[in-house]
Amino acid sequence: MKMSPEYSKAQANMQPGVITADGFLGDDKRPIVDIIADDEATMETLGVSFDEAVARMRHLMEEGRKGLEEPVTVDGNWIVRVSEARGFLPSPFEDGIFRKVNAQVELMQNGTPTGESVLYSELGMHLLEKYHFMQGVGAAFRMDPERLKRVLQL
Amino acid sequence: MNLAYFVAPLAVSGISAALAALISITDRIVNNYGEVTIDVNSGSKKLEVNGGANLLVTLAESGIFVPSACGGRGSCGECKVKVNSDVGPHLPTEIPYLDKDQIQNNVRLSCQVKLKTDIGIEIPEYLFKIKQYTGTVERIRDVTHDIKEVYFKLDDGQTVDFRAGQYGQIEVPPYDKVKDRTQRAYSMSSVPSDTNHVEFLVRLVPGGIVTTYVHDRLKEGEKMKVIAPFGEFYVRETDATMICVAGGSGMAPFKSIFYDFIEKDKMKDRDIWYFFGARTKKDLFYLDELEKMQNEHERFHFVAALSEPQPEDEWEGETGLITEVLGRYLKEEISQEKPKEGYLCGSPGMLDACMAVMREHGMTEDKIYFDKFA
Repeated sequence: MKMSPEYSKAQANMQPGVITADGFLGDDKRPIVDIIADDEATMETLGVSFDEAVARMRHLMEEGRKGLEEPVTVDGNWIVRVSEARGFLPSPFEDGIFRKVNAQVELMQNGTPTGESVLYSELGMHLLEKYHFMQGVGAAFRMDPERLKRVLQL
Repeated sequence: MNLAYFVAPLAVSGISAALAALISITDRIVNNYGEVTIDVNSGSKKLEVNGGANLLVTLAESGIFVPSACGGRGSCGECKVKVNSDVGPHLPTEIPYLDKDQIQNNVRLSCQVKLKTDIGIEIPEYLFKIKQYTGTVERIRDVTHDIKEVYFKLDDGQTVDFRAGQYGQIEVPPYDKVKDRTQRAYSMSSVPSDTNHVEFLVRLVPGGIVTTYVHDRLKEGEKMKVIAPFGEFYVRETDATMICVAGGSGMAPFKSIFYDFIEKDKMKDRDIWYFFGARTKKDLFYLDELEKMQNEHERFHFVAALSEPQPEDEWEGETGLITEVLGRYLKEEISQEKPKEGYLCGSPGMLDACMAVMREHGMTEDKIYFDKFA
């Protein structure tokens, strides 16, 4: 798929060392429009909408923040730990800056942690919501559609 | 044999080599700013340096370490300096970190200012005391499932001079996909009298570059760089009741402060309340040491609180978020008569929440001290 200048610039900004030390693409060599198209297709097959996913993620992050850096149990289904560092990260699409807040969400079953978790940031939620960009395969903050569906119970 | 098979690759290689040489020469000409002078604090120091790099890095190479929690990536807003020369307009990368007055006074993020000509800057005098140390990791100990206590011995008779509560920056080498050396700030948990060691408590942050390195790769015997001391977090010399609050690795500065007090026989001089929050018992640490401290020092009070104690914890102590417990104690247990000072160590969210509780109970912001980094 053809990349617009905006997406080409964003892909350049996603390389390691530009905005974050290890970048947004992991080992993924595909153009970001292809990453987005493939993930959109997977999300559709899974029957999960991006808005629904982002709404759940936002809810869990907000509840997790109440733990003041300690993990908290949210809705009896998840253990959420929100970590916050000083400063901001700019969006690779150059459309805003975001606090350095990360949420690690672990799924629980019958009150016991399952060990399966997702990790996302405030910036990651923005990229997901506005661009449907779930980050490259192998990236630390990659939001894999299947895992997202399982862990967030979508 | 057809000569074209050889000529074509040679021609392409030759053109590529010529272009590379041209780029290299152009780069040297265009980016060669020669020697420039940095006038620090109106003549207090004059540094003759090579231009071309950013101000933060150039100052560090000259032995002046401006605080930077992100290691110069323009994402923490810590490395502010006042620039007295014209270095061009503020960049879009700087604006989010500066208020109106700072922009008017030409305060800049030193990591975003490229040195092209002579420049005058103003920085606090205490920055001259900050040094870079090399050290060897002498001991790594798990204090919880996700916090490591890392104890460095400084090399070659180096000694560090800091106040209990201050922080240092650890530098880790490139690894995996991390291409550059990376620095992050951590409070020192060692006692200042142990001048040839520094100790840090490092909690694993999911996705964190330095914490992941420390937890997964750092080994005893490994060499490390430490830059210290930084920060305005230290105990003010008053007799006000100290209200100290921390969670997780926020324990570090308080460990340093309390042992420093014990060494200097100051535990008897003022009331100290130390509130420490965790989720379950497995997230608590140094419990025995702190309880011993409480038993031996009448004016020292340690309050640990669990937000989600598990049945197997058999916890009989305080429960709830640390802010809730703090509020209860400020209302019911701690003398309303005496003046109070707040000492906080934690994330920006934790600090904001604790400050709100403290304000609610009559404490004023100018008497609440913290270094706002995580």
